[in-house]
Amino acid sequence: MKSSPVNDSFGDLALPLLPVLYRHAVWLCRDPSEAEDLVQEALSKALRGFESFQDGTNFKAWIFRVLRNSFLTSRTGLAMSRTVYLEDHPGLLDSIEDGLTPEDHLIRVNDQAAVHQALEQLQPQLREAVLLCDLEELKYREIADVLDIPIGTVMSRITRGRRALYQLLQLQYRESR
Amino acid sequence: MTQTMDETAHLKPEEVSAYIDGELSSDASEGCLRHLRVCHPCSLRVLTETQVKAATAREGARFAPSAETLARLSATLHGESSESRRSVIVRRPSFVQAAWYAVAASIVLLGVMGAWMQVRRSNAMEAEIVDQHLAMLSGGAAPEVESTDRHTVKPWFQGRLPFSFNLPEAGALPPDTTLRGADLAYVNGQPAAQLIFNIGRHEASVFLTQRAGRVLILAAATRSGFNLRTATAAELRMTAVSDVSPAQLDALVTALEKAQ
Repeated sequence: MKSSPVNDSFGDLALPLLPVLYRHAVWLCRDPSEAEDLVQEALSKALRGFESFQDGTNFKAWIFRVLRNSFLTSRTGLAMSRTVYLEDHPGLLDSIEDGLTPEDHLIRVNDQAAVHQALEQLQPQLREAVLLCDLEELKYREIADVLDIPIGTVMSRITRGRRALYQLLQLQYRESR
Repeated sequence: MTQTMDETAHLKPEEVSAYIDGELSSDASEGCLRHLRVCHPCSLRVLTETQVKAATAREGARFAPSAETLARLSATLHGESSESRRSVIVRRPSFVQAAWYAVAASIVLLGVMGAWMQVRRSNAMEAEIVDQHLAMLSGGAAPEVESTDRHTVKPWFQGRLPFSFNLPEAGALPPDTTLRGADLAYVNGQPAAQLIFNIGRHEASVFLTQRAGRVLILAAATRSGFNLRTATAAELRMTAVSDVSPAQLDALVTALEKAQ
């Protein structure tokens, strides 16, 4: 790979994002070794397709899309794409009556182990949208581009994802009492 | 995102999310705020979802690459190796080559990690400040000390904070700005005075901490539709957050700076 202005520019943009690309890849693959391979593959594809990146747009959103597309063609990604999730059946995720106090809620969200368990249990499609919003701080429009879905679906997934997290925390709390 | 809303009806779940994520237009966002001031159930939902969002961000960041992984990815990026990770391991470079790779990778790694950690800390601090301001707005509860009189607000912090500060006279505040009260807060684990001001129909929080802490927030930033400003004066660091215009926030920060 020869050094060129394109390569240098790509490197400058991509280098600070390596930790977050890896982090997102682990959430997608659920396996550190597979995640590293996925990031390597995504970097290679992104460099080859760098000319399609438009100046002035969000590079992070662009390369996350490349990463996700690479994931979808991987074995794990193909397996995930064949799975039908509850999102297709909204009635199954209707709210649960809780009877918990606001203090109970605060205790739950401050319990890192509980939040970790809830995130692990969350449907991958909802988790991905929530993480791109809450962790990677992408705008809804950018998330729609990364996931290749309408912006209304992004809003729905984020809302439903947070509600599902909240419900999972409630269930855990009930079981622990 | 341009949206209109019925301010008398409860907020829809998507409106709560869009409000928290700073995805509403300024008009729709103000409409939400007006509704939240009078609707306890919706305020509680906003507060809860804000807490879930912050908890997700904290927990989502748990998968950090090891130094070796980051070095390998950096090497790939810079074309130091066009081969895959496994083939690099199989090739077994000489000791001198390996040492040079290690030194180069360490330098790159330190730079990346340093920049990344700074951005993460800065983002986390901004999120913490905005969350606390949002909780104050959403909670609807009165501040612990509620007064427009600086001679009431300032003494309330005596014995509660390891530092002191001055407040400007009411006449020295920008037009249409009044002190509403204050709370004891914690920012990045440090005790802070949260001063609450009314600016027209909006509210602003100014967090005063000791200057000894590290600078983690940019002098001017925007997050989730809120403007943030940071300034230092004497031994104090002040961080203001509000949805008022940047110029109005600057004027408030300047008035506080002059009072020190």
